[in-house]
Amino acid sequence: MKRHLTAIAAWAAVGAAGAALPAAAADPGPTVRMIQERGSLLCTGHNGSYLGFAEVDDRGNWSGFDIEMCRALATAILGSPDKLQIIPVSWAQRFPALQSGDIDVIIKVTGWTMSRDTELGLQYSLPYFFGPTTIMARTEIGARTPEDLAGGVFCINAGTSIERIVADYMGARGIPYEALNFEKPEELRAALYAGRCDALAGFGPFLAATRFNAPDPEAFTILDAVLALEPEGIAVREGDDGFVDVINWMISALLMAEEYGITRDNVDEVRANPPSASVERLLGVSPGVGERLGLSDDWAYRMIKAVGNYGEIYDRTIGEGSVYRLPRGKNHLWSNGGMLYPLVLD
Amino acid sequence: MARAPAPALPPPPAASGLAWLRRRLFATWFDAIVTVLAGAALVWLLAALIDWAFLDAVWSAEMRERCRETAGACWAVIEARGRLILFGLYPHEAHWRSTLACLIVVATMVLSCLPAFWGMARLAGLWLAGFGGFVLMMHGGLFGLPVVTTEQWGGLSLTVFIFAAVVVLGMPMAVVLALARRARLPVVAGLAALIIDTVRGLPLLTILFAAAVVAPLALPDWAQGDKLGRVIVAFAVFYAAYQAEIIRAGLQSIPPGQEEAALALGMPWRSVVFDILLPQAFRNTLPATINQVVITFKETSIVTIIGFFEVTASASAAIGRGEWGAYYVEVYVFVALIYFVFVFGLSRYGAWLERRMRLIRG
Amino acid sequence: MLRMLRTRRSRGIIIQAALLAAVGALVAGMVLTARENLIAQGIATGFGFLDRSTGWPINVALIEVSDRSSYARMLLAGLLNTLHVGITGLAGATLVGLVVGMMRVSGNLVLEILGTAFVETFRNVPLILQVIFWYAVLTHLPPPRGAIDLLGVGFLSNRGLMLPMPDWSGTDLLLIAAALVAAVIAARRLGGERPLRAAALALAAVAALAVLLLFLGHDPARPLISLPQRQGLRFVGGLTVKPEFAALLTGIVIFGGAYVGEIVRAGFLSVDRGVLQAARALGLSGWQVYRLVHIPLAVRAMLPALANQYVWLMKATTLGVAIGYPDYFMVVSTAINQTGQTIELLLLLMGGFLVINYTLGGAMNWLNARLAIRGRN
Repeated sequence: MKRHLTAIAAWAAVGAAGAALPAAAADPGPTVRMIQERGSLLCTGHNGSYLGFAEVDDRGNWSGFDIEMCRALATAILGSPDKLQIIPVSWAQRFPALQSGDIDVIIKVTGWTMSRDTELGLQYSLPYFFGPTTIMARTEIGARTPEDLAGGVFCINAGTSIERIVADYMGARGIPYEALNFEKPEELRAALYAGRCDALAGFGPFLAATRFNAPDPEAFTILDAVLALEPEGIAVREGDDGFVDVINWMISALLMAEEYGITRDNVDEVRANPPSASVERLLGVSPGVGERLGLSDDWAYRMIKAVGNYGEIYDRTIGEGSVYRLPRGKNHLWSNGGMLYPLVLD
Repeated sequence: MARAPAPALPPPPAASGLAWLRRRLFATWFDAIVTVLAGAALVWLLAALIDWAFLDAVWSAEMRERCRETAGACWAVIEARGRLILFGLYPHEAHWRSTLACLIVVATMVLSCLPAFWGMARLAGLWLAGFGGFVLMMHGGLFGLPVVTTEQWGGLSLTVFIFAAVVVLGMPMAVVLALARRARLPVVAGLAALIIDTVRGLPLLTILFAAAVVAPLALPDWAQGDKLGRVIVAFAVFYAAYQAEIIRAGLQSIPPGQEEAALALGMPWRSVVFDILLPQAFRNTLPATINQVVITFKETSIVTIIGFFEVTASASAAIGRGEWGAYYVEVYVFVALIYFVFVFGLSRYGAWLERRMRLIRG
Repeated sequence: MLRMLRTRRSRGIIIQAALLAAVGALVAGMVLTARENLIAQGIATGFGFLDRSTGWPINVALIEVSDRSSYARMLLAGLLNTLHVGITGLAGATLVGLVVGMMRVSGNLVLEILGTAFVETFRNVPLILQVIFWYAVLTHLPPPRGAIDLLGVGFLSNRGLMLPMPDWSGTDLLLIAAALVAAVIAARRLGGERPLRAAALALAAVAALAVLLLFLGHDPARPLISLPQRQGLRFVGGLTVKPEFAALLTGIVIFGGAYVGEIVRAGFLSVDRGVLQAARALGLSGWQVYRLVHIPLAVRAMLPALANQYVWLMKATTLGVAIGYPDYFMVVSTAINQTGQTIELLLLLMGGFLVINYTLGGAMNWLNARLAIRGRN
C-alpha cells in the first residue's frame, strides 16, 4: 500500500512538473521572482510629501500619481494593490537605495539622463510621464520671464536633474541666480512660503501642487517658459530585462485601456464581451498576455480593476478629479494631442 | 616651604534668610546694578513668555481663525496635527497600538531605573519582555493584529524604540570593546582601539548614512535585515565607542592591586571582571554614562535626515502644508517639550543616582 | 611554570591569529560582495568622476565655484564650508559658554537663575531641532523689499544679514601686516616686566598706525568699506551672512554654549578653595587671585572636556543638510546622487571628517600637554 502511494506521489510530481513547464519557459527574471517570493513590492515613497505624486495625509496614508503606479505594478505582479510596501526615500537616496536592494523599483518622476543610464547602472522603462521644468515666481516681483528673475534666489530639490537643467538654462542666457538646494520637500516648501526664495524651479505639476497648497496661492505665479521637457521613466537595476518588460507592458496596458475606454467600472463588462482581439488578449480572455511575461494571464484585468486606466489615475491624483486640476497637456494619448502611446499587443 | 596646619577657624555664623539674599543680590554696588538689570530682563522675559504661551493663546482648532489675529501662541495647530507629530505614518486606526508600544518601552525604562531590577539576569529578562511587547504591538502579525511594516513606524514610539534599542545593544558592545582595549594581546587591543578611535572621529550622520544606504551593497542578502535594523546596529556601534571609553576610564580608576589580589586568590578571570572590576567601573563613571545616554536620546533625532519618520521629522511634516505653516514656533516648541521631558527626567535621575551612590559609599 | 607560560603565550597567539583572520575575512568578504554587486549592476567605479564638471551650483562657498566646476573643486568648497561654520561655531560657543559659566559661578542669584535657565533650556533639546527652529525664524524675517534697516549700513531680511565689509586691496593688507609686525617687535622690546600693559599699548599703536597707513597708501577711487546696496532682487556689495549659515551657526553656538558653560562652571568649581584662600593670604588682591590663580587652574581642568566638546561640535556641522547649507556632507550626498559613485564618495566623506577631527583632537591634546607641564612646576 505504502509503495503504491509513493509511486502515485512520484507520478503526480512528474505531472506537476510537466504542467509547470510552459510557465517555466517564460522566466520573469530575478527581480520579479524575488518580489513574488517576498509577496510584496518595495516601491519608492518620499521622505515627506511630494504633492500630487507621493503625499501623506493626516492619517499617514500614501496617495498620488507615483503611488498609483506602484499599486498598478504590485497588482500586475502580485495580483493585489495592497501587496505593496512604500519605502520613504529622499531624492538623493533613491539611487543608492535601488542599488542596495532596499527598493525594487524607482517610481518617482525620475528623468532619463545619460549619466544615470550609464554610470548609475539604471535601466529605464518607457516614459510614463512628460514633465516640463518650469519656474514659479513670487507674484509681487511681477516677473513674466526667467530673465526678470535675474539675481534672484531659486529654491530647488537637491540631487535632482532640475539642478542641472536650471544651471544650463540660466547659464546659457547669462542670467545670474542663486540656487538654494533642499533635501527635504518640507524644508523647501517652508522656505518658499516664508519668502526665503524668489522662485521655485521644478517639475511643472509639482509647482502647481505647491502653489495650490500655499497659504495664499495668488502670491505665486507660474511662468510660461519651459526650461526643458523631461521624459520620466520607471528605473530599475540594470541587467534584468524580464522586469523591464513587465514594467513596459504595465504602462502600455494602462494606456491601452484608456485608448479602448476600459475603466475600473466597466472592465468586467468589457471582459465578458470583448470588442476586439486586442482587448481579448489584454484582459486575458485569450491567453498570452501574462504567460509570456511570467505572470498570470489576468494581470492586466486585475490591474485595471484595481487602479483603472492611465486617464483615470491621472484624473484621480493630479487631474480634474483632484484638488490640483492639472490639464493633461503632453500627458495625453497621442490621439488626443499628447505624447503617450501604447505598444502593440499582438 | 614648611606647611603647618593652621588652627581651625570657628564656623561662619548662620546667615538669616534676608542676609543670605542680600549677599546673593547686593553684595557690592556693581552687583546691585547687575541684579537690577538682569532682574528686569528676567521679569520681562517671563512675562512675555506667559503672555504668549497662555494668556493670548488660542487653544482649540475650532477657533483657528483667531490664530491670525492673536499675538499669542496658536496651540490649535497641535490639536489639528498632534496625531501626525506623535504617530508619523503609522496607520490611523492602529494608533492605540503605537501608544501602547511606547508606554511599554517607557515602563521598561522606568523599571530598569529602579534598584530592585539591578542584576544581569533581571535586566536582561525585563528588556527581552519589553522589546518583545513593543515589537508585537508595533509590528503585529500575532493575535489577529494586522502587520505594520517598519517603514510605517513613526513618531514618538519610533524615537523611544531607537533610543532603547541603541542603548541596550550598545552597552554589551561597549563592555567588550573596553575590555578588549585593555587586553594584553596587542592585536586585540589594537583592533579595539582602531574601531573606537575611528568611530569617534566620524559624525553620527555619516555612519547612519553608510548603514542605511551603502551597507547593503557590501553585505550579502541574508545579512542585510531591514533599514531600521541596520541603522540601529550602526547607531549602537557609535554609542558603544563612546561608552567604551567611559568604561575604560572607570576601569583605570580602580587600583590595579584589586585585580592582582583577586587573581592571586585564584578567582577565575570572568569572576574578576564581572564581580569586581565592572561593577566598580560602572559606579565610578555613572555621571558620564548617564550623560552619554542623554546625548544618545537627543541624537536619535538625526535619523530624520536619512528618511525615518520619528518625532522631529513628523513635526516638519506637520507644518509642511500651507495652512499651518505659519505656526512653526508652536510645533517646534511642542516637540522640544517632548524631548525636554525625557532628557530632563533622565538627567534628574542621574543626579539622584549619583547622590545615592555617594551615600552608600560614604 | 615554563610550560604554562608557553601554553598561555601560544594561546594568545592563536587567539590573535584567529581574530586577525576573521577580521580579514570579513573585510575581504565585504569588499568582494560590493565589487560583485557593482559589476552586476553595471556601476562604474574609480575616482575618475572627480575631474568631471558637476552641472549644479551651490549657493555658499568660500572659493569660486559654479556648475562648471569639477567634482573635486565642489567637494573642496563643501569641506571649506564645513570648516568655516565649524571654526566660527567653536569660537562662538566658547565665548557664550564662558559668559554663561561665569554667570553661574558669579554668586549673584539673578545671574545664576538666568544662566541655569539658559543651560537647561538649550542643552535638553536636540541640536537639529534647534537648527531647524532658528532657520524657520530667520526665513520668516521680512523680504528684501521690507528689509530691516540697521542704521543705514546694514540690512536684515530673510535673505540674510547684510553688513559693511572692509574692501582692502593687496597693498592695504600688506601695510596692515607691516604695522602688525612692527607692533609685535615693539611689544617685545617694551615688554619684560609688564607684558600685558606693553601688549595693550602696542595694540593701540598698531591700530593707529594701520589706520594712518591705510589712508596714506589707499587708492582714493576705491572706498575703504563696501556697503550693501539693494539692486533688483538682491543686495550687492558688503558682506552677506546667509540664513542657512546663520541658522546653523546660531544652533551650534547656543547649544555648544550651553555645554561649554557647564564645562566652565565645573572647571571653576573644581579649583580647590584652599588654594584660592592661600593666594589671598599671600596678599594678592581679589582680581589678582582670579586672574593669576583661579582662571589658569580652572582652564586646565576644563581642557580635556572642552576637547571632546569641540570635536562633537565639529561633527554637528553635518546637520546643515537639514536646512540646505552646502556643507561637506550635503555636497557629498548630492554628488552621490548625481554620480552614483556611492562607495568612493563615502570614503572621501569619512576620510575628510577623520582628518578634521584628528587634527582638532591633536591640537587640543598638544595644548593640554603644554599647559599641564607648565602647571606642574
